[in-house]
Amino acid sequence: MASYQVRTFIGIFFVDENKKIISFKPFPKDPKEVAPLLNEKSEAPAEIEKFVKENLLKYAIEYKFVKNQIEFNQFLTKVNSELTKQKIKESASRDNLIIHVNNAVEELDRSINIFVERLREWYSLHFPEMDRVIENHEMYVELIGKFGDRENFNDNRLNQFKEKSSGMEFNKEDIETVKLFSSDISKLYELRKEFTNYLSKLLKEIAPNFSVLAGDVIAAKLIAKAGGLERLSRMPSSTIQLLGSEKALFRFLKSRGRSKSPKYGLIYNHPLIQNSPSDKQGKIARLLASKLSIAARIDYYSKEYRGDQMKKELEAKVKGILSLKK
Amino acid sequence: MPEVKKTKFYGVFKIKGKISTINLVPNQKVYGEELIKEKSVEYRVWDFWRSKPAAAIKNGLKGLPIEDGIKVLYLGIANGTTASHFSDIIGKNGLIYGVEISDRPFRELIPTAEKRGNVIPILANARKPEDYENVVLSKVDVVYEDVASDDQVQIMIRNCEKFLKPDGFAIIVIKSQSIDVTKHPRQVYKECLQELEKYFEIIDKVELDPYEKFHLFVVMRWKG
Repeated sequence: MASYQVRTFIGIFFVDENKKIISFKPFPKDPKEVAPLLNEKSEAPAEIEKFVKENLLKYAIEYKFVKNQIEFNQFLTKVNSELTKQKIKESASRDNLIIHVNNAVEELDRSINIFVERLREWYSLHFPEMDRVIENHEMYVELIGKFGDRENFNDNRLNQFKEKSSGMEFNKEDIETVKLFSSDISKLYELRKEFTNYLSKLLKEIAPNFSVLAGDVIAAKLIAKAGGLERLSRMPSSTIQLLGSEKALFRFLKSRGRSKSPKYGLIYNHPLIQNSPSDKQGKIARLLASKLSIAARIDYYSKEYRGDQMKKELEAKVKGILSLKK
Repeated sequence: MPEVKKTKFYGVFKIKGKISTINLVPNQKVYGEELIKEKSVEYRVWDFWRSKPAAAIKNGLKGLPIEDGIKVLYLGIANGTTASHFSDIIGKNGLIYGVEISDRPFRELIPTAEKRGNVIPILANARKPEDYENVVLSKVDVVYEDVASDDQVQIMIRNCEKFLKPDGFAIIVIKSQSIDVTKHPRQVYKECLQELEKYFEIIDKVELDPYEKFHLFVVMRWKG
């Protein structure tokens, strides 16, 4: 007589072809132990498996695995949340790190900008001439941290202004406080550097081909925008071309052709597009996006490194486009 | 003393002018909602800004086929905000199979599910019912779908074919902006309803404006 094994949440049933239960081997009652046991499949015809599953509650009570439906439901819930936890663990991949680091860098940029603006306004009470002379934010912050009081400044660009400055006097506490602020902003700049170094390491590890073609900054932004390398690798190149220009794209779609369609999204900042005349930019964007989509697929599926070769091909093609006449 | 009034919806009460359900797990909030205790029964206020069935009730829905002890297949369960109220209504003898494609919401959903004991979290794509058919033990009484996808009608039909009892109910939240942003929402609703009518008898439909813009809440019966 043939007997089939049916694997369920509560244990293994041995069933004959007339759907009669021959025996039952219960699983332990700890959901954590049950979850890994469910990875194996049953070896029974679908019909028999379905029959057992539909009557599982009845059997569970009959074989005294649970007392009632409430207990049964609770057990089922717990086993399935264990299974789901297991699945989440397996599905999480390292490209999620790129998304978070990239977004953190963008948020840092925004914060640093706000703080530097405040610092400039604040310190200009004391030394207004410096605001114009030192245009670089990071330098401005660093100089305040280094010298503090206007009197102490020793910098070729500023020495001529410090004597006849129109700024008000700051006492010791005023200076210390503003220095404290500037040193914290400097720390944010350092943090940003750490993050970008880490980001390029991650990109080299996870998306070597893609990041060589796109450049680190754009590569990270595209992966973050797409929601991961897997999703990016499934996108058609026309979507990659327009990632980041959703507002313009939907404006175009809604207006049904009355406004212009965007030609590029985030990839607009790529040097190959930036350094080309505007009448060729659209064409180059299309080419670049198609190469990027190929690179993303190589990175996600085969992981073979072909970046340098692809970059050469891309540059040769761009040259070809640039030499075309209108 | 606040007065508790029954409503025409099973397990849904009106208290202090707000609709609410009886908390299955007393003293536990799910999403920061208000808890009101009245005669040793704890009610959880059902926020119509955050949950679409509540918005539908507010906008004049005639009936909701969620009752004690039934089984529900919930596609797009997300954080379990709406599901927690369904879980209150169906009680400990009922069961919700909650399917969600994204892993992020499970951080909130799993603790909720484990406390409640009648919500089964499933990480799967609702487009592929085969992936979770071994989890769903038997056919369900209600399929509820709230997914942002342009093929949400097809997803609904495919899941009903596989999991819904012959006389079961289906509830779908049609998201016109997910289906086609360029068309007028009413046009999108019309096309979706035409497609749905081939498989379902449409019982009631309510627009969710202003709580959810461009959403249509539809209650249907499966023609099987």
